Amino acid sequence: MILYMGQKNYALLLAPLGILLCGLTMLSAKDYATGQLDFAYWPYLLTLIVAVGLIQAILRRIGADTWLFYCVLLLLSVGLVMIARLAPDLFIPQLRWAIIGLLMFLLVLRFDQVILKLTSYQYILGLACLTVLGLPLFFGTEIGGSLNWLVFGSFQVQPSEFGKILLVFFLAGFLSDHASVLKLPRYKLLFWRLPPPRFLAPLLSIWGMALVMFVVQRDLGSALLFFGIAVLMTYIATGMMSYVAMAFGFFAMSGILSYNLFNHVRVRLAIWLDPWADPTGMAYQVVQSLFAFGSGGVWGVGFGQGSPRFIPEVHTDFIFSAIAEELGLIGSWLLLLVYALFFFRAVKIALACRGEDKILLGLGVGIAFFLQTFIIVAGVTKFLPLTGITLPFVSYGGSSMVSGFILLGILAALSRRKNGGETA
Amino acid sequence: MTEGLVIKIVSVVAQYGMLLWLLYFVIQLGTRMWRDLATVESSDAAGTVSPSGASLTVLAAEDESLVGRRFNFDRKITVGRGADNDIVVADAFASHHHAEITMRNNLYIIEDLGSANYTYVNGRVLVGKAYLRPGDEIRIGLLALKFAR
Repeated sequence: MILYMGQKNYALLLAPLGILLCGLTMLSAKDYATGQLDFAYWPYLLTLIVAVGLIQAILRRIGADTWLFYCVLLLLSVGLVMIARLAPDLFIPQLRWAIIGLLMFLLVLRFDQVILKLTSYQYILGLACLTVLGLPLFFGTEIGGSLNWLVFGSFQVQPSEFGKILLVFFLAGFLSDHASVLKLPRYKLLFWRLPPPRFLAPLLSIWGMALVMFVVQRDLGSALLFFGIAVLMTYIATGMMSYVAMAFGFFAMSGILSYNLFNHVRVRLAIWLDPWADPTGMAYQVVQSLFAFGSGGVWGVGFGQGSPRFIPEVHTDFIFSAIAEELGLIGSWLLLLVYALFFFRAVKIALACRGEDKILLGLGVGIAFFLQTFIIVAGVTKFLPLTGITLPFVSYGGSSMVSGFILLGILAALSRRKNGGETA
Repeated sequence: MTEGLVIKIVSVVAQYGMLLWLLYFVIQLGTRMWRDLATVESSDAAGTVSPSGASLTVLAAEDESLVGRRFNFDRKITVGRGADNDIVVADAFASHHHAEITMRNNLYIIEDLGSANYTYVNGRVLVGKAYLRPGDEIRIGLLALKFAR
């Protein structure tokens, strides 16, 4: 690690810029041919580039990890280029969100000592998490078929994106404090070893909340994400398969129950099992996404050459289909590899931390990104039933961008040596 | 005609450029992380990872007066009947060099050094090496130790 401290990382910084410039050159060439060249985005883009340059210098100076930041820059540049191509109207808003995200990232780094101590207030965090997730139930607005939006005047917030952060903090605090109690084999039920119920209750309420999100708010993606984070972090903290078995039991039971009670669950499953039964109606989105993957092939049709706009919502949840169509199997593999490297780095930073709550916090953040990527990629490729959720740092979306940068800030803070991390 | 050709060439180059930059990034970062894995151990030895400190507390021993005593250590601690150990156990069930705990990558690993009567971790016989977690109970002969960090 220390050996590479002095080594220049310009190669890693140059690649995201290269992708951004190549993509924008390509789009400009296309616009020039049709005579509608528009450079209104340049001030925002320059601000973003200058901010990135400053932040990477700050990261080096305070001895925080930079590789994670480069991974995110690459994802961000691919996302920006794709959004400029798919929804040109949203390019400037997305640039603005990225700049706001970087500001939040700096704020987290500035106040990292305070933020990392938050894990001590686990029950407050747990309650805050439930409140944030529950808000849309009472004040929510339905956008795109799921009731998970809060509308403040002219802009909308997706509370589940921020609930995710609170959940990771809560679980890190709760599990590091209670791991030894949760490991107590108090009750034995066949081969299950269960701890006393009052230590289980917080976990059960998180699972229950995920179920409510799934059934009432129809936000299957976030529900799956929350459930997955809770189960994986519990397993990491306790090392007991009993909890995983219990979670699967809970999942199966609630799945069967909601399948029989709610129509939208049945529709989702029917689309997954056989999208060709109704390719122009209910399953239109998934079928178009599959077409996009098919027409992309191994090498892709080339950036700007495909027709991904047939897919509804292609700039948010389905951006991966557009990437697969235009950059092909190669491009989408490389993008997934960047996510894999990001996760690998996050795990490494987490394991180098001092104190169990910090280790759990780092792993939780890594898991949150990893699961989110997996869920949406699995959804658009029809590996799992489709679940609307953003591809971290790539999809269009303000809430997702800002919460992503906050989580990245937490990982960067954990990587600082005074927090027990290693640096590179 | 020439203008059309220039635009065509520029856009083709830009398209391939995107893929190549992506490939370049993955290769660069991949090799850096790979090399980074190999250097972890040497940086550990050089002391760049500051030891976080761990302790063993005596839960039970033949000599009751030892119960509650704490042994703090950073990188390594050895237990056995031999006088050159960090914790010397005057116990017929302990071997000369019974077990040792070492730090690697900021995690603690316990290893049984081929003892005659085995080392028990949380009531189970330790085979070879195992990672220790805070709260684990280690038993060597009549001595019971609790690991904490």
